[in-house]
Amino acid sequence: MAKIDKAPFEEFLIHEARLLDDRRFRDWMALFTDDGSYWVPAVPNQDSPFNQASLFYDDRDLMKTRIDRLEHPLIHAQTPPSRTAHIIGNIVVESADDEAGKYTVVSTVMMVEYRDEQQRVFAGRQTHTLKRDGGGFRIAQKKVDLINCDSAFEAMAVPI
Amino acid sequence: MLDGHADEISRLIEPGRVHRRVYTEPAVFELEMERIFARAWLFVGHTSQVKNVGDYMTADLGRQPVMMVRHRDGKVHVLLNRCTHRGPKVLNERCGNAKRLTCCYHGWSFDTDGKLLGVPVPEGNTATFQNDQYNLARAPRVGEYRGFVFASLSPTGPSFEDHIGPMKGNIDDLVDRAPDGELALDVGMHRYVYNGNWKLQVENVLDSYHVPFGHASTVNQQGVQFARREGDKEGAAVVEVKEKKTATSWKDRKSFIVGNGHGWTSNTELADGKRSSPAFDAYKKALVEKVGAVRAEEILKPRLHNSMIYPNMSIMGLNIHVRVIKPIAVDRTEVTIYPIRLLGAPDSMNWGNIRLLNVTHSAASFVQTDDLESFVRAQKGLRSLHTDWVDISRGLGAEDADPEINAVRGLATHELAVRAQYKAWLGYMQGAA
Ligand code: FES
Ligand SMILES: [Fe+2]
Repeated sequence: MAKIDKAPFEEFLIHEARLLDDRRFRDWMALFTDDGSYWVPAVPNQDSPFNQASLFYDDRDLMKTRIDRLEHPLIHAQTPPSRTAHIIGNIVVESADDEAGKYTVVSTVMMVEYRDEQQRVFAGRQTHTLKRDGGGFRIAQKKVDLINCDSAFEAMAVPI
Repeated sequence: MLDGHADEISRLIEPGRVHRRVYTEPAVFELEMERIFARAWLFVGHTSQVKNVGDYMTADLGRQPVMMVRHRDGKVHVLLNRCTHRGPKVLNERCGNAKRLTCCYHGWSFDTDGKLLGVPVPEGNTATFQNDQYNLARAPRVGEYRGFVFASLSPTGPSFEDHIGPMKGNIDDLVDRAPDGELALDVGMHRYVYNGNWKLQVENVLDSYHVPFGHASTVNQQGVQFARREGDKEGAAVVEVKEKKTATSWKDRKSFIVGNGHGWTSNTELADGKRSSPAFDAYKKALVEKVGAVRAEEILKPRLHNSMIYPNMSIMGLNIHVRVIKPIAVDRTEVTIYPIRLLGAPDSMNWGNIRLLNVTHSAASFVQTDDLESFVRAQKGLRSLHTDWVDISRGLGAEDADPEINAVRGLATHELAVRAQYKAWLGYMQGAA
């Protein structure tokens, strides 16, 4: 396999994280393919989002309901809203199929969230299944494996 | 501050109001740990969580660590998770399988029914040492109904039958939805914590009053909530948008109380005729095959919303799940929500239920997060010293008897269920064992 140029993937992941930090949730959703999904498992090594509970498992429909809610003036859990800072690193392009335009990119994500006098940290490994779309990519699946995925969480309102 | 005398406790509860110290006072919490959580029948777990010999799960009853273990003979035991030597928790994982239970400190090991099997360097034991004096302690009383295992850490008190009797129908309502007449809590769990008193969650379970405003962010511009059941296109009508008021159908919901702090709220009629999806249709077919069309219709009619089995468990009939409420401190509570697998239902139906529960009750859900915000803000607001009383008077005196089911009923937007919880609370706290 020819050496893969990581730069466009890195750029894409940083862009995605930036949309979340800017609370541009609709633009974030638009990064996903029509059958795309966002998944945050509730246990380590969870093999399926279907047969057991997950923290998040949104298809585009549920994502839209989630974002309608995030934009609702009476979302009490976001009054005041969260502020987040994502940092993405250790990016590895795990598989690249240029012909099919399909890529798997694994990276480490940390998100610091501040809201209502409290700051907390989420950390884990994220796996993006990407599809080439013109000059850029769209997300077929974003999966975030949090290191503390099976702990008890205080309310989480924004995606990681 | 609080000496625990019955009359002092009784001053915290008045008709239609509760003193804020009930939520904020560490001494009240300490007393609750003794008089409620070390005495009452508490939900521990479901037998499906320890399916095979040697399977175990750990839990805390109040603050006391216990384990539920399946022994070789198939019997499920509830044991105190405390080494009889010098005290460590013997099992440290939330669940697992073990041939024997071995303490990490000096290596005493116990059988899966709690019997002490052996200790290292036994020649150091006193001459009178006998293994069977050192078995893991058992929960003094254990009861089971349709796989739901409850325990009381007190050897005396009302019988399991007295306690659970009035709520058996609610458990049946849930379990009967499984074509095989059996369910399993083996499809993961949601866990959340909040900085607030445990009773805030217990009260909320039977509070239909908060939904139109508390969950406004889940209601669309037509005043309708998102679909929460497999096969539904949309959820319940919550708000009448034009008049900007709570929907009539919502206001018609009923609340029922049956003693012991238990109660339930009825469900809003949903578009049941139109409920359909490949998963739901396959499930309905499986159910009809097992129980017949008439009974299946009855089972599928949404009769119950939440049912509270006081003090630590609730079940829901809409997004089916079992909820366990665990007090950590006066201002800290942890909740576990188990999705339910209906045995005999097609995977697609169970998966649909699991998936919808993610968006209603996970720590990252659309619904539960707004409740948690209210709990946290209540705990903060109740710091105010000069407004001592919390009002729970809605519908006071408007309750009436429902002779058919031996319950007291009222409107679900009233607060009769909360008042009933405090009646039971007072009973426990005044020392009625
Ligand atoms: S404390 Fe458990 S073996 Fe000694
Ligand atoms: Fe709620």
